Amino acid sequence: MTITSPTATHEFAASIVGAEHAKILDECCSAAPADAQQASEMLRFANENGLAVNVEGSGSKLGWINEGRTDLRVLTHRMSTMREHTWQDMTCTVEAGCTWLAMQTALAEHGQHVALDPLWPERATVGGVVAANDSGALRLRYGGLRDLVIGMTLVLADGTIARSGGKVVKNVAGYDLPKLLCGSFGTLALITEVTFRLHSIARQTASLTVTAATADPLGKLLLVLLDSQLNIQSMQLRTDVAGFALDVRVAAHPAVLSSQQDGLAGVAESMGLRAEASAGQEWAAREQIFAPSAFVFKATMLPTEIAAAAQAILDLGGSTVVQATGILMGNLPGFSSPHRLASLRARLEAVGGSLTVLQAPSKTDFDRWGTLPGSLPLMRAVKQQFDPHGILNPGRFLGEI
Amino acid sequence: MENSMHAPEPVMLPATVLAELESAVGRDGLIVEPSQLQTYECDGLTAIRTVPSAVVLPLSTEQVQAVVRVCATHAIPFVARGAGTGLSGGAMPARGGIVISFARMTQILNVDLPNQRMTVQPGVINNHLTARVAPFGYFYAPDPSSQSVCTIGGNVAENAGGAHCLKYGFTTTHVLGLEIVLPTGELMRIGAPSCDAPGYDLTGVFVGSEGTLGVATEVTLRIVKKPEAIQVLLAAFDSITGAAQTVSDIIANAILPAAMEIMDRLSIQSAEAAVHPNYPVCDALLLIELDGRSAEVDLQMEQVRQMCRNNGAWEDRLAQTERERMLVWKGRKAAFAAAGRLAPNYIVQDGVIPRTKLPDVLKRIGEMSEAVGLRVTNVFHAGDGNLHPIVLYDASIAGQEAIAVDLSLRILRVCVDLGGSITGEHGVGREKQESMGYMYAEPDLETMQRVRHAFDPHNLSNPDKLFPRPRLCGEKTGPYTPHPLETAGVAEYF
Repeated sequence: MTITSPTATHEFAASIVGAEHAKILDECCSAAPADAQQASEMLRFANENGLAVNVEGSGSKLGWINEGRTDLRVLTHRMSTMREHTWQDMTCTVEAGCTWLAMQTALAEHGQHVALDPLWPERATVGGVVAANDSGALRLRYGGLRDLVIGMTLVLADGTIARSGGKVVKNVAGYDLPKLLCGSFGTLALITEVTFRLHSIARQTASLTVTAATADPLGKLLLVLLDSQLNIQSMQLRTDVAGFALDVRVAAHPAVLSSQQDGLAGVAESMGLRAEASAGQEWAAREQIFAPSAFVFKATMLPTEIAAAAQAILDLGGSTVVQATGILMGNLPGFSSPHRLASLRARLEAVGGSLTVLQAPSKTDFDRWGTLPGSLPLMRAVKQQFDPHGILNPGRFLGEI
Repeated sequence: MENSMHAPEPVMLPATVLAELESAVGRDGLIVEPSQLQTYECDGLTAIRTVPSAVVLPLSTEQVQAVVRVCATHAIPFVARGAGTGLSGGAMPARGGIVISFARMTQILNVDLPNQRMTVQPGVINNHLTARVAPFGYFYAPDPSSQSVCTIGGNVAENAGGAHCLKYGFTTTHVLGLEIVLPTGELMRIGAPSCDAPGYDLTGVFVGSEGTLGVATEVTLRIVKKPEAIQVLLAAFDSITGAAQTVSDIIANAILPAAMEIMDRLSIQSAEAAVHPNYPVCDALLLIELDGRSAEVDLQMEQVRQMCRNNGAWEDRLAQTERERMLVWKGRKAAFAAAGRLAPNYIVQDGVIPRTKLPDVLKRIGEMSEAVGLRVTNVFHAGDGNLHPIVLYDASIAGQEAIAVDLSLRILRVCVDLGGSITGEHGVGREKQESMGYMYAEPDLETMQRVRHAFDPHNLSNPDKLFPRPRLCGEKTGPYTPHPLETAGVAEYF
């Protein structure tokens, strides 16, 4: 393996992607390929020269993995085309650099969407959302990316361009590689194109909010609603000026929507709680967690743990939004020590959950990933097979994969 | 060679290896008697058979691990087996290999209703999952038609589907975590009871890997709340086009039925003869199941009936009672076995196409069938474009079997050409290895092999399946022969 200079990398990049799409800054070269073929040439070069490569969409979630050396940034913004929207078949194929919002806007022309509401849709790219496995409130009803991505085009570290999955929802031919890539944070391959299954946008929804001073009664209500037969599309428990709020969105045929709302309000009332029409901004609350000065983390848990986790975070002076799926985004004010989260992390890990750091405003020795899973050796073996020279975000994923 | 109906004598394992296996599972957990081994020579794909060298019936994860360690030490290939109802040869042993049967690991280990999860051993029968949680208003959603006998371990291996996965998703949607024994003998937990465990989604790639990445010993599953109301509509059309258009219209109107199935005239006739579901006799029968809140289901059903009429349905009949509904489904699920009434032999495939290509593909199948003079009957999961073309023929007529095999594989090629897949739920197994090349190019397959090598560096776990291989002379994909369970009336397929 030869080691090349930043200048030589830049020269090579310019020859492949064009001079105007290759830059050099502080010893780090960036290249914006126009297609999978150019991306493949860039990765093959990096692989042969041992360059550390970071694939970037909008860069909105770069801080979600360990810091590390980057010699080459491969930028996906030139690959931003909606390749195909076969609305009659309810699938679409889109390039990785397309922003989430641009994709959804195009799909909405036919009343459809990828039924996932990630953070910062106006900036976040399809590839970035997939690589970071982000999801939002719609996950309760429609599942996560693992349930919505049906095909992908990948460029492996050695430049191999591979297609996986297909364009039909039902397909069991071969390994389900798209699932492996969702949440792989650019450590296994560069994603250049994604095929999604689509859903119709719910024609009518209504959102109700129930508030309480402590999390416990709302946690109980959440469990009762999960066990109900109401058409609940989204449900989240969050910290609020009143203490806590539980937001519930129901989707139904317009003629029966009000009976769903009444049913929901009735359940709340039977538990001594009051449901009112939501004020409007509740479903964007997740983004508020990412205040620039805050220490932000993601936690995963069983639904029965939600109330206790939310209460613990409030008691530490932080705020949180937890989806009924058990996926939590929370923060602590920047000045407080993240080590105060250790007992919450321990409790969640004891029942099959996790707590990982997404954003740390200042240097901390609080471990980002928590207790490493027993399957780490297998994850390493997968990484070794996909990227034997360790060029894709080396050392930046959990267990320093 | 392993392609004949009479598999050759099994390869004998050395006595020392047998002793190690016996110490792993006990004397009553080891089968070496040739007549007993024969039971395990094939699964639902009965045309290809290999008698295993031994069968083990472990009682615990520890015993599975001990067995796999013996295999790893002596480089003996192994395959896990549930009920053996798979249709693509996935549970067929390798020559000189052993079968790990999960017939004695059938416990439901934990039911966690508030979190809507359960943890079970792989030998639990699919139907038993729902039976266990039904009293509390829950069910396990994936419903392959063999669900009264097939096991959850096999469902995990094949990523099993069923009529209701249109709305509820496949096995992979419902598997949260697994305990697995790797082909090296290591025990590992992948996934977690909660969503989004940090790290790679190893569970996602394990489910549907057809036994080639290791052996699952424990499965954590999601269970689903039963809907308040369920209604099934039978709509009769004079053309497949009208039925297919109705399917598209329903989806375009933002209605997501629990299931949508189409049967053609031949399959309606054979189902009628088999279980008397009292279907209207027509060229295309569309079955639509809606579920949800009763007021909403009523409203949507009215819309759906209107759409059926607009597309030329001359009858739209609602199954009113639970019993009527069950009969409708019984007829649908019997369609495959009932093909045996139409011809002495048949081959079934399960190619997938984009839903809107239905009329197109059926026309082409019709032309192909006419060109070679063999009938093809069609039953399919119309909502997700999953076909089940059944090629009917008579093996006693010289040369007809070869024509039927060729026709069935050409149908798969048509599916792929139209942007679809060679298999929607039956798996590749041994049957469709060569057809993988229709769908994937060399780099695509090579990328999958990387996963294989990470899990199974020595190629011991269900080797020689799923990936294309150099074809040996005289080998062929065979006709369908009824599985003993099916002949006995215990199970239906797909």
